[in-house]
Amino acid sequence: MKIAVAGKGGAGKTTISGTIARALARSGHAVMAVDADVNPMLGISLGLGMDRTERLAGIRQELSESAAEDAIHEHTIDGLIERFGEDAPDGVRVVVASRVDMPDHGCLCCGVSADRLLREIEAGGRTVLGDLEAGIGVLTRMEVGSLDVVLVVANPTPKSIEVARRAVEAAVARETKVLVVANRVTSADDLDAIRSVLGEHEMAVVPEDAVIARADAEGRAPIDLDETSPGVRAIVEISEWLVARPREKYAASQR
Amino acid sequence: MSPVAVPVPKPALWPVDMPLQPRPRGPLWIGVAGKGGAGKSVLCGTLARVLGRRGYHVLAIDSDPMPGLAHSLGVEEPDTPLLMGAAEKPAQGPWRLKSCIGPMTVVRRYTTPAPDGVRMLQLGKAGKDGLNPVNGSVNAFLGTVRRMHEARSLHDWAVVGDLPAGPRQLAAGFSPYARIYVVVVEPTSQSAMTGRRVARIARGPLGADVIFVASKVGGADERRRVERLLGESVELEIPADEAVRDAERRRLAVIDAAPEAPVVRAVEGLADVIEQRRMESS
Repeated sequence: MKIAVAGKGGAGKTTISGTIARALARSGHAVMAVDADVNPMLGISLGLGMDRTERLAGIRQELSESAAEDAIHEHTIDGLIERFGEDAPDGVRVVVASRVDMPDHGCLCCGVSADRLLREIEAGGRTVLGDLEAGIGVLTRMEVGSLDVVLVVANPTPKSIEVARRAVEAAVARETKVLVVANRVTSADDLDAIRSVLGEHEMAVVPEDAVIARADAEGRAPIDLDETSPGVRAIVEISEWLVARPREKYAASQR
Repeated sequence: MSPVAVPVPKPALWPVDMPLQPRPRGPLWIGVAGKGGAGKSVLCGTLARVLGRRGYHVLAIDSDPMPGLAHSLGVEEPDTPLLMGAAEKPAQGPWRLKSCIGPMTVVRRYTTPAPDGVRMLQLGKAGKDGLNPVNGSVNAFLGTVRRMHEARSLHDWAVVGDLPAGPRQLAAGFSPYARIYVVVVEPTSQSAMTGRRVARIARGPLGADVIFVASKVGGADERRRVERLLGESVELEIPADEAVRDAERRRLAVIDAAPEAPVVRAVEGLADVIEQRRMESS
């Protein structure tokens, strides 16, 4: 199964990706977490801490630094992940597609890119979970059948809802199953604001949660802080929803 | 009879205790960067308006493909990006930029007027139906924007760029021409990490000046947390302010909806810091 998490910057994509990855791994799934943001941050939500997250290598940059221009042709996607991936808690494997640390990085569309990694990686028996860059860019570069599910994260603010609406459109155009995640919801009004625009889609609600806020402040994984808090529980439930999806959808990704 | 003539010292041409202030030369280019949701657009839009009120001609550049800057400036987001008029589709080949579009033409024709003498230029905005076809010509257009840097007619302009989230755009686009980066950091580990990455690029290869702003802070504790996570001190703080959320809901610029709001006061302080830095570096 291939899942991507999209939405406006700061909506909670990475927190939700990291927590789902950990929850799936705990329930016995093989999880491959792909940080598809050039500002990679997924390590924190997976529980690697700030320092190890900062040291995670971007595949793209590692390859160009080793001056092996042809290396990308010599490696299979799985070979790259094997070589550059890192182990996170609960057995989650994490890989950073590309990180921008310097100007003049060349054309980000050529060579190894988050897009290519997500398109070409074979799910096999694994769950591949891609934490996308803010906005809808990566989604618009996916093809029909590249992804099984897109989780679209929306906060109850007009801009966040608008970005989510565009992400949903892009996902639907690629015939991908969509789950809207209404995140940081504090009231019925918040939920109404999101429902009024995105109400026709399946929706999960994640309440505003002090534990997640503390995890963000301290650079830790929410699931390591308190897995019983309302926000974390709601995200764990999303992982259960993903597993329980109709089998025929899986079949499509297993081909 | 006149007293003995005592030589009266001639007044100095310029009072000695008032050194001649060097007038900064060249346009003032500012980039606003940080993690998504940190408050870049609100800060950028308000800063543009504040500079406009201080007598600058201001060009506010929105290079984020997602909605953002227009509301913070107090204008409606144009349905069709004005830039569409700058592109043409030849009989064969992709969309391209019309030739002979100079810097002044850009300001005159392809910007949206906002209050306080601010002009807003939107680059590569994703329209309601996805990315608009002009997107392919945005790089060409950026070349024109870069020429603004040399255009004499624009030398007294302040250019404020609202950059997309993260470090990507810092590495391209108009960024190399910004001499000052305002890096907006919320009191979270992720925001601080982004701030560090952005500052590293800005100070290192771009050789620019960085002003760290702690954003959405709820007190001295949170400001200190930002500083601890960043590993250095911040220049000033923008308080968490309910006025921002209210203004956003009412689809107004916060400077119009609540001119006395703490966040507006804080941005005025930021404009002071920017003018000071510019003075020092010129």
